Amino acid sequence: MAEIKRFNAYHRVLHVAMAVSFIGLVASGMPLKYANAPWAAWLMRLLGGYYAAGLIHRICAVITFGYFAAHIGYVIYDIAIVRKFRFNIIGPDSMVPWLKDLEDIYHSFRWFFGVGPRPQFDHFTYWEKFDYWAVFWGVGMIGVSGLFLWFPEFFGRFMPGWAFNIATVIHSDEALLAAGFIFTIHYFNTHLRPEKFPMDPVIFSGRLTLHELQHDRPLEYQRLVDENRLEQYLTGPQQTWITDAGILFGFAIVLIGFFLLILIVMGQFLY
Amino acid sequence: MKQLTLLFLLSCFLLPSPAAAKDSCYDCHGQKGMKQYVDKSAFEQSAHGHLSCTKCHFDVSGYPHGKVSKVNCGACHFIGTEGAPKEQARQYKLSVHNRVTAVGNAALPTCQTCHGSHYIYPSADTRSSTNRQKIPALCSQCHPREFEVYKNSIHGKQLLEDNNPAAPTCFQCHLEHLTPPTASNAWQLALIKQCGNCHSEELKTYRKTYHGKVTELGYVTVAKCADCHGSHDILMLNDPDSTLSQKNILKTCQKCHPAATPGFTKFYAHAEEKDRAKYPVLYYTFLFMTVLLLGTFAFFFTHTFLWAYRSLKERMNKKGGE
Repeated sequence: MAEIKRFNAYHRVLHVAMAVSFIGLVASGMPLKYANAPWAAWLMRLLGGYYAAGLIHRICAVITFGYFAAHIGYVIYDIAIVRKFRFNIIGPDSMVPWLKDLEDIYHSFRWFFGVGPRPQFDHFTYWEKFDYWAVFWGVGMIGVSGLFLWFPEFFGRFMPGWAFNIATVIHSDEALLAAGFIFTIHYFNTHLRPEKFPMDPVIFSGRLTLHELQHDRPLEYQRLVDENRLEQYLTGPQQTWITDAGILFGFAIVLIGFFLLILIVMGQFLY
Repeated sequence: MKQLTLLFLLSCFLLPSPAAAKDSCYDCHGQKGMKQYVDKSAFEQSAHGHLSCTKCHFDVSGYPHGKVSKVNCGACHFIGTEGAPKEQARQYKLSVHNRVTAVGNAALPTCQTCHGSHYIYPSADTRSSTNRQKIPALCSQCHPREFEVYKNSIHGKQLLEDNNPAAPTCFQCHLEHLTPPTASNAWQLALIKQCGNCHSEELKTYRKTYHGKVTELGYVTVAKCADCHGSHDILMLNDPDSTLSQKNILKTCQKCHPAATPGFTKFYAHAEEKDRAKYPVLYYTFLFMTVLLLGTFAFFFTHTFLWAYRSLKERMNKKGGE
């Protein structure tokens, strides 16, 4: 079966860096947020104590800033050098939301209620774009507030001390939003929904099957056929060990995420 | 009858009853001016008033007696089988006061140093040497510098000048019998809760900050109540000499944050995001975040559940059709 290139090695490596650092940040941050939960001291000890957890948190923060910068650099490189500025910011290959996304949301809900057909998607669906931009918002909000809390004496020179109280609320609630979203909605949308269950390996293998392209992204398929570009994207299957290792990694991350989610729900509602 | 009387007299002579023995002790020690004078009526009203002298002074058996050794309270209060309270002595055995006694510092306090000997009353009794009004002066016998600082603190003034029954004495923090070493982590963390027994709102809001959360998890390296407010020297916030007054607060923050600047000190160490009047920016930030979270989760959970329902239904229909 022919396969279609979707993510290159750079994308896939950044996604793994993102998944690992995100789990590290959540696990080392939540004992503080839910310090009164009975599991908090246990999790803190598991991570090596308060000092070690703080170190893990900061190392993962640096990885986060790293993949974020690496991605921005890639986007600039891709648009300026590879595409030589021949790129439609508003178009099917762009992450920028357009009117069709709103129409797709509307038609998706019609499909959910059984009063219309499933909308036809192109290269990026609206929920994929939401996930993508949510990272910008999240890294921005959590990253900036986190830097304030990391270097309070430095930032205290430019802003009043109560900015750290504001930063604490933003950091903590935004982290809850991010963890709650990733461990439920992102997991379901990409991996756990019946069409992909139990895991969509595309982010690890980088490849879609031709059938998946025709079925999940018919507009893109049609576009590639019409423009005679499908050949460019055809490729052989990924090396088995890469896909297998990816799936194993994916399962581990999903399971750890679910475990942390249970603790978060307990911390949020029980104590 | 004659025989019975004889037996009675004989028993009085051979086995003196406690009351009789006590009375005979008072023959000498009940006389004012006598060395080791004991005020009979004051003793009899004390916690041990029902006991015979020889219960404690068991090395005395008659008159004249030789040198009397120091009473060992532990004979009843540490071992003993007669139901005397033992918890206090057990705690004392673990305390710094006793630990240093064990290495031979004769200046360290034993039971009698604080409780006295013959006139031991329940601490609620004003005659008791451990009555709360007298506690700071009692400890000052060995800790005079701490007493000088404490008596000018808000707690000291409340206790010694205003007779406030809720004001903490030395004991509330240092735990009279257990007196743990002040370097003990467990004690420093327990103290936070102790402060919160009276200052409950402050404890609640402290627990919302980084400082309060780290200490709640059992680590002492961040600011605890006394690190900012002081301990023996604690004063009202509006007192210019308070560690947190305009004049002193920067120095206090700099104990842990050496590069802190005046702006840094505007941190709310007791933030309450639900108090709109006092912390408006914090309140509206919290409100915005709450709406953002509820809105995002509400939309996407609805989306996800409907999607799951539709997908499952379509797949079941397909299977049914095959």
